[in-house]
Amino acid sequence: MTVGEQPLTALAHPGGPTLTADPELDISSEGEAVLDGPFTTRQLLRLDEALRTSDQQTGLTFSVYLGELAEPVRQTAEALHKQVENAATAVLIAVSPNQRMLEIVTGSDARKRISDRDAKLAALSMAAAFAGGDLAGGILAGLDQLASHAGRH
Amino acid sequence: MRGLGAFRLSVLSTVLVFVVIPAAFIGIVSALVLAGNDRGHKSRRYRPGRPYDFQPIWYLASPELVSAPPASPAPTSRALAGREQRQALAAGVVEDSAGERVLPGPTGGASDRW
Repeated sequence: MTVGEQPLTALAHPGGPTLTADPELDISSEGEAVLDGPFTTRQLLRLDEALRTSDQQTGLTFSVYLGELAEPVRQTAEALHKQVENAATAVLIAVSPNQRMLEIVTGSDARKRISDRDAKLAALSMAAAFAGGDLAGGILAGLDQLASHAGRH
Repeated sequence: MRGLGAFRLSVLSTVLVFVVIPAAFIGIVSALVLAGNDRGHKSRRYRPGRPYDFQPIWYLASPELVSAPPASPAPTSRALAGREQRQALAAGVVEDSAGERVLPGPTGGASDRW
């Protein structure tokens, strides 16, 4: 194997600390951002599990965006939704705790399986949980409702 | 020979039993409470009305499905800059009477606030 085929890792730079000496090297910048987020590790694990099972069962691509949404909020959420590959089958839940707003965006194919009325129902229960300060619970409840309305593929 | 009522303590043992030992006990308990209490820096829980100052995060089961890096610190500039915006505009912009942009795409969904 030549040097060029070797994938570049943190250890590929000679002279640096090893992973044993500095395990933080192993965590990507995205990983750190997630660990610094508002969720505990247990909540992150449940969220990950919920996203994976709803993706597998429905064949749609569920994603959850948590953060500030620029005005106009709906258009920003739709722009985010467009960034997902196969946006037609993607379902984006965008939550902005500071603005106290949430948006559910369904792609054109996903909309046939999750009607706007179903999405509104999920949004209502999510907003109820968020108003009680339960971010993780609200997101999980919304994912669960949306996935069960979409049905199995 | 001494009666029950004749049990006497010296000043030193009185202070030891009634001051030093209770003070030490209280000290140990409060130290344990404080040690268990400082869970890191700040409460990470979201409470409505309190500011929420975390980086924007995008959770996906498979992050490679997003065309732009999901953990970018400035999602607004990312969302509204470059390729995406030009695609959105090229798709044809329809405006209603209020001047609001109506996207011709058939995306659905719902909004809510709390």
